[in-house]
Amino acid sequence: MTVIERATLIGKRVPKMDAPEKASGKTRYIHDIDVSGQLWGKILRSARVHARIRRIDTSRAKALPGVHVVLTAADVPDQRPIGVNKDHPALKGDKVRCVRDEIAAVAADTEAIAQAALALIEVEYEDLPVIADPEAALAPGAPVINEKHADNVAMRFDYAHGDVAQGEAESDVVVEDSFKLHYVTHCCMGVSGVIAEFDASGNLLLHSNTQVPFLHKREFAEILGIDPGRIRIVQPPIGGGFGSKLDIYPFEIIAVYLARAARRPVKLVYTREEEFLASPTRQPVILRLRSGCRKDGSLTFRSVETLHDNGAYTSWGATTPFVMMQTFSSLYRVPHCKYHTTVAYTNNPYAGSFRGYGNLQATFAVESHMDKLAEAVGMDPLAFRLRNAQDPGEVTGQGMTFKSCGFKDCLRSAAERSGFLARHAEYRAAQGAGGRVKRGIGIASMLHVGGGACGTILKLDDFAHVTLMTGASEIGQGSETVLAQLVCEELGLPLSAVTVVNNDTDITPWDVGVHASRTTFIAGNSAIGAARKAKAKILAAAAKKTGVPEGELDLVGGFVVRAASGEAIVELAKLLRGLHFSDKAELVMTTHYYEPPSVHQDKGFKGDVSAAYAWATQVVEVEVDLDTGIVKMTKVTGAHDVGRVINRLGIEGQIEGGVVMGQGYALTENLVIEDGRVKNPSFRDYKLVTAPEIPEMDLAFIETMDGEGPQGAKGVGEAPAICIAAATANAICNATGVRIYELPFTPEKVYRALKGVAPKVAWRTRAAA
Amino acid sequence: MPDAGALERYAAPRALAEALELLRDGDATIVAGGTDLMPQSHSGKARFGSLLLNIRRIAELGGIALEGDTVRIGALTSISALLASPLVRERLSILAQAADQFASEQVRNAATIGGNVCNASPAGDTLVPLIVLDAAVELAAKAGGGIETRTLPLQDFLTGPGRTQRRPHELMTAVRVPLPPAGFVARFYKHGTRPALDISTISLGIGGVRRGDRLERVRVAFGAVAPTPIRARAAEALIEGRALDAAAIEAAAEAAHDEVRPISDVRASDWYRQELVRNMTRRVLAHVAFG
Ligand SMILES: Cc1cc2nc3c(=O)[nH]c(=O)nc-3n(C[C@H](O)[C@H](O)[C@H](O)COP(=O)(O)OP(=O)(O)OC[C@H]3O[C@@H](n4cnc5c(N)ncnc54)[C@H](O)[C@@H]3O)c2cc1C
Repeated sequence: MTVIERATLIGKRVPKMDAPEKASGKTRYIHDIDVSGQLWGKILRSARVHARIRRIDTSRAKALPGVHVVLTAADVPDQRPIGVNKDHPALKGDKVRCVRDEIAAVAADTEAIAQAALALIEVEYEDLPVIADPEAALAPGAPVINEKHADNVAMRFDYAHGDVAQGEAESDVVVEDSFKLHYVTHCCMGVSGVIAEFDASGNLLLHSNTQVPFLHKREFAEILGIDPGRIRIVQPPIGGGFGSKLDIYPFEIIAVYLARAARRPVKLVYTREEEFLASPTRQPVILRLRSGCRKDGSLTFRSVETLHDNGAYTSWGATTPFVMMQTFSSLYRVPHCKYHTTVAYTNNPYAGSFRGYGNLQATFAVESHMDKLAEAVGMDPLAFRLRNAQDPGEVTGQGMTFKSCGFKDCLRSAAERSGFLARHAEYRAAQGAGGRVKRGIGIASMLHVGGGACGTILKLDDFAHVTLMTGASEIGQGSETVLAQLVCEELGLPLSAVTVVNNDTDITPWDVGVHASRTTFIAGNSAIGAARKAKAKILAAAAKKTGVPEGELDLVGGFVVRAASGEAIVELAKLLRGLHFSDKAELVMTTHYYEPPSVHQDKGFKGDVSAAYAWATQVVEVEVDLDTGIVKMTKVTGAHDVGRVINRLGIEGQIEGGVVMGQGYALTENLVIEDGRVKNPSFRDYKLVTAPEIPEMDLAFIETMDGEGPQGAKGVGEAPAICIAAATANAICNATGVRIYELPFTPEKVYRALKGVAPKVAWRTRAAA
Repeated sequence: MPDAGALERYAAPRALAEALELLRDGDATIVAGGTDLMPQSHSGKARFGSLLLNIRRIAELGGIALEGDTVRIGALTSISALLASPLVRERLSILAQAADQFASEQVRNAATIGGNVCNASPAGDTLVPLIVLDAAVELAAKAGGGIETRTLPLQDFLTGPGRTQRRPHELMTAVRVPLPPAGFVARFYKHGTRPALDISTISLGIGGVRRGDRLERVRVAFGAVAPTPIRARAAEALIEGRALDAAAIEAAAEAAHDEVRPISDVRASDWYRQELVRNMTRRVLAHVAFG
């Protein structure tokens, strides 16, 4: 008897399936793809921040040899505005509202010719007053930026649970501060790009970097007034997303317009400078937080008002309040909470979605106050947090039900591993002592959601090779590998037996796109569902063939085996071939659509929006140089409730990368925008963290085995970036006794704060006005 | 897209004489490592002349050699080569310290000392140490049938951001550094927001000959606080030949703070640069004096 050993890939260190191609430089990104007959597209952007366009003359550009098409808004009368508020025409006609504004586009034989043609386009502007500050935008009589929104308000959000007045009355301590969060941008190594081509029948094929191909398909159909069935989106491997490719942008539509006009394929890829100028940023926020607690350390209320700078058009950044309010209402037990956001139009660049989606901003304020309140009631920061952290089964004021919840384990684990309490006390005591370099340690936690639905098609061929067709895109996060692992686990196959197809809307089933830390959870459950259906079909066929009851069979190591003994009965590939060639020829091909058991929020933003909730605590250690203000991050200890580790190597990579992204947000990255203009559109002055700055990391995984999660797993994609800035603020305060309310902690900002000459974040809220 | 400007011709001679001959015709753009020139032409800050003259193949422009009591560093010497040279590391250690904080490995392999000097950036990282070392610049030109050279103190050679005393038909051939006397100590400090790949917000170099608790022949130089790297003469005077106690160090640091006139830009404000000058002068001076 041949016994097949069971082996599992779950929790192992599995190299990413795309790693060999990427490591050897063979991956073909959009930049590497050329289609025959293609032209190059280039966009002319506004030279002014806010102005009327008096005249555009493209005649000299059109006359340049090698130029095929030059378009302005006048050439595309069928334009439809895009964006979350449908306030954004791809080509601007009469007015420009920010420096990103696209006013003309060229398709030419080469990139150089297209570039040269741009220089030949003459534009006459009439300047309008520039509103570069959201407060000024809301002042009575402020110039109107978007005609449909005469009050310059793009959106408002109001949320409440409980009664904050009562909460305040019950408080022994109340603190209130304003916080200011800056612009950062994704810095994907693969810049934005698209190739648009129409076939002879007028069907559109897009090679696109988008994170949301199915949503785009629909949008393009509306924009072009054609049947969505005539649009196909193929995604080449994407060189980084992080949320930046979640919206539809003018450049994509412009490439389609150019291809339509030129009747040739058009490739449009950003330069690095253009990527800095024209791709979305993280949402900048001014935030006022008032919070309170009792002497025993229990939180009583949080009252929050924020002002979001919408920029000139509305993209996903304006909707970050959805996530922010969850942190204010439900990170720690908050009996009473009130939240208001005004999103104001300005002439600044607009923000989009970015890993964490508002949560970094909210967590920064909340965790600063957790430290301040703890200090005020004389508790240590850990005990204060544990006093307010939730347990499994709790339902928050916003209606989130924490089925699995490793929050307290995260807090205890991160604190213990880093020696938090002893160090915190030691560094605090040393604040007044001599020495030009001070050490500090800070703690912060986060809560994050995930959701959406996803479909899978699974096909087994006659050699038992599996093709997994999923709507979930791979953007470098390693989803292919995790999905393949989950399928292998069900079907008892090695990883090499699976091919993942995830990049072609003509093949893969519908999906809402990669975002919200959702792929492992949602697409994972969908893949498992399809694999289980395939397994049931195979075992039924095996039972029929062998006479062994289905219930006693299993799939292990490429064989149908007796479940109890592991004895091999028939090779899977052989069984499948038998099926194909039997009288009633049959294929093993299954589909599964997974919709998580979450609910949509009601009108008051309440409801159990996520099937599972992810938790994390991070402890950051720093050294602050008092002579220069340089903050060096020396160590990060992270404890993450991930439900269950599926691919250990993958999850470590995700968390390490997220920590570094959080580090950049906290310390070095700053897209400087003055009077609507981007001052540092290059890697020379936009400072990404480089290798020598990356801190030591100690990562722990809290495996709460979520009942709904695939193999117990939860989403983790966004979590690691979220609390680094918050913990860093607390660490700097522990080192120096100085709390800083504004990011990033660049040397000069920190130095000014240490010297007591930093301007205080001042903001008159609506409530105060 | 690089702006080719008036570019008509490219030449890569192997002999110095040939290069100088080509320069005599005028309107040439010299390229060594290209690490300044290429980004500048991409951004439109530099326009090429009619001749692009690649000097990388001229062997005579390389090499680091001790000639009597002068170290001659060929203009084509890369930053990596400075770091690898025992002579530089042991005798001109402040230059090696600066090379060690210069750009990244890849850029250091291409970037040359001649390019750093002729680019004349106020933040050029070899300039401050070279000023502390009393270095001079050697220039060559074709005159009549032969080659004529002249030597200028580096301080005089640099006249403003991107501006030098180099005449259009001259090529910089070397930096000449007098060997520092016994007892010479010097330190370089570069302030950037990260340990690698950063442009100096400010830089400073302090050197002198240690005699007991005193420093003699003191040099205090700063980068990125004026149109050219400068010497802080008031600060120097306050420590020259004096016992270096805390009070003297403090006085020199204050003097340096008052002496510099930095600008505000996207990297730092003038106020912060001045604060850095004071604080880091204090720290580096203490190092030089006591460490
Ligand atoms: C990513 C990056 C990081 C950098 N980091 C630093 C840094 O940390 N510190 C720093 O100081 N600099 C830095 N630089 C700038 C640059 O690398 C240096 O200034 C370098 O020394 C220039 O040398 P090069 O040989 O590349 O000069 P090139 O670019 O070839 O030339 C620079 C200029 O000097 C002229 N020139 C060159 N050689 C001669 C000669 N022999 N005679 C006459 N004229 C000549 C050229 O015509 C040109 O005008 C950095 C640059 C980059 C791209």
